[in-house]
Amino acid sequence: MSDDIKVDLELDLKGLLCPLPMVRVSQNITNVPVGGVIRAVATDPGAMADIPAWAQSTGNEIMSAGKEGSEFVFLVKRVK
Amino acid sequence: MDSQQITTLTGVLDKKMNRQLKQYLDICARCAICKDACHQYVATGDFTYLPARRAELIRQIYKKYFTKTGEFVPALYEARDPDENLLDELYESTYACTGCRRCMYYCPFSIDTAWILSVAKAILIAAGRGNEMLGQLADAAIFKSDNFDMFRDVIVSGFKDIEAELKELTGDPSAEIPVDKKGADILYVALAGAHSILPAAAIFHEAGTSWTLSMFESANYGFFFGDAEKARKIADRFMDEAVRLGVKEVVITECGHAYRVANIFHEAWTGKKHPFKVRHILEVIDEYIKDGRLKVSRCIDVPVSYHDPCQVGRNGGIFEQPRDIVRALATDFRDMTPNREQQWCCGGGGGIVAISEMDAFRLKSGKKKVEQIRATGAKIVASPCENCRLQMEGLNETEDLGVRIAAIMDLVIECMDLPGRKQAAEGA
Ligand code: SF4
Ligand code: SF4
Repeated sequence: MSDDIKVDLELDLKGLLCPLPMVRVSQNITNVPVGGVIRAVATDPGAMADIPAWAQSTGNEIMSAGKEGSEFVFLVKRVK
Repeated sequence: MDSQQITTLTGVLDKKMNRQLKQYLDICARCAICKDACHQYVATGDFTYLPARRAELIRQIYKKYFTKTGEFVPALYEARDPDENLLDELYESTYACTGCRRCMYYCPFSIDTAWILSVAKAILIAAGRGNEMLGQLADAAIFKSDNFDMFRDVIVSGFKDIEAELKELTGDPSAEIPVDKKGADILYVALAGAHSILPAAAIFHEAGTSWTLSMFESANYGFFFGDAEKARKIADRFMDEAVRLGVKEVVITECGHAYRVANIFHEAWTGKKHPFKVRHILEVIDEYIKDGRLKVSRCIDVPVSYHDPCQVGRNGGIFEQPRDIVRALATDFRDMTPNREQQWCCGGGGGIVAISEMDAFRLKSGKKKVEQIRATGAKIVASPCENCRLQMEGLNETEDLGVRIAAIMDLVIECMDLPGRKQAAEGA
């Protein structure tokens, strides 16, 4: 499904410990245009709650969040 | 800035005013002894970072609005209205401060500049100038607890993955990571990731501890942001959990500010005494090793040094237990000079590691730490604080120090007789 979505920025967050994956997504959200999408790949399981919580509390959108092997993959859309 | 805004900002100062703060603002002798204590000033020579200068910005507002002399002859007493320039200066000097309180240790009047700057943060927040990133991280933590049902499954499933690793590491298929266990002795409050859960779980398992893992992380960005209400709410999450589960003690992971928030500030914020003890995980591990409850060998034969995180050491009073643990694990322990209360701040505290625009400054401010690490000749530098380790890892890379920066719990489990670790080593 994610193959159909245009990704504006890839973020490799593998190896970063929480809360750094969430910090990096937050720092980079303004590097994509409004409506743009970040694809972030993390390995710390804490990111599975942290990144969606950050997105919801800042009014951005998690288009998908899932586990692929030992990696956690997020599609985050900048809403405003 | 219009008079309404000025009234709002001076109102914040008025609300925070008490005898202690008034004393700090009145008695500075401008001796500048604190300048040689601040790692940021020492590394940059920039007056923005001189502790007394940072506090002076608040002192100028105080003189204008809270003293008669400053009100009537402001020029003579350097009294000043808060304006956009003052807020710009205040933002830089305040959010750069790591809250290490080394300046207070050396000040002849024990002026707590970090406390004055916590008031500065409240003023900046009221002016809409609080640090955005720290505010977002605080809000995300609060959102997670306010909407916990939305996150519960994903959090528990993460714990289950770590539990599978624990079974492997301990070689015990019945090893578990308990959550929500009523009547456990200990509620262990980790960070959000696996790295602070797995080693503690292995230690608790080997020591036969009755424990349960908190659903919430100990990190508190509300504290770094400077909003006491948000900070209290974030800490409430696991403090309420501890009350609900009826534990005997709350044990905070290897994190500096979280320990200080839990051990010192939370009771002051709520005005209530905790019905349980609060300890740092290293106090518990030290006790286990000394009681013979946890068997470790002296397995590390390269020189090891120890960095006192400011919130664990100078501001938390824990100095000997971590050193005793490292001595139990390593044949060659080398303390830094100076150490304990006089330890140099590494430059990574106060939430600054999350503020990307301060990255270059932060690394530059670690100059004293770099000199200290080099002087020890150590190959491993252990430290029980995530922010300190992140900063020292950055220094290790940029300054080519050639050391390993380690959490103490990681060293402990390396020196435990764990079947899973042995298998991994043999397989490697
Ligand atoms: S050391 Fe204390 S009294 Fe001296 S300038 Fe610094 S804050 Fe003021
Ligand atoms: S608390 Fe630390 S960083 Fe802040 S002014 Fe004092 S010495 Fe400098």
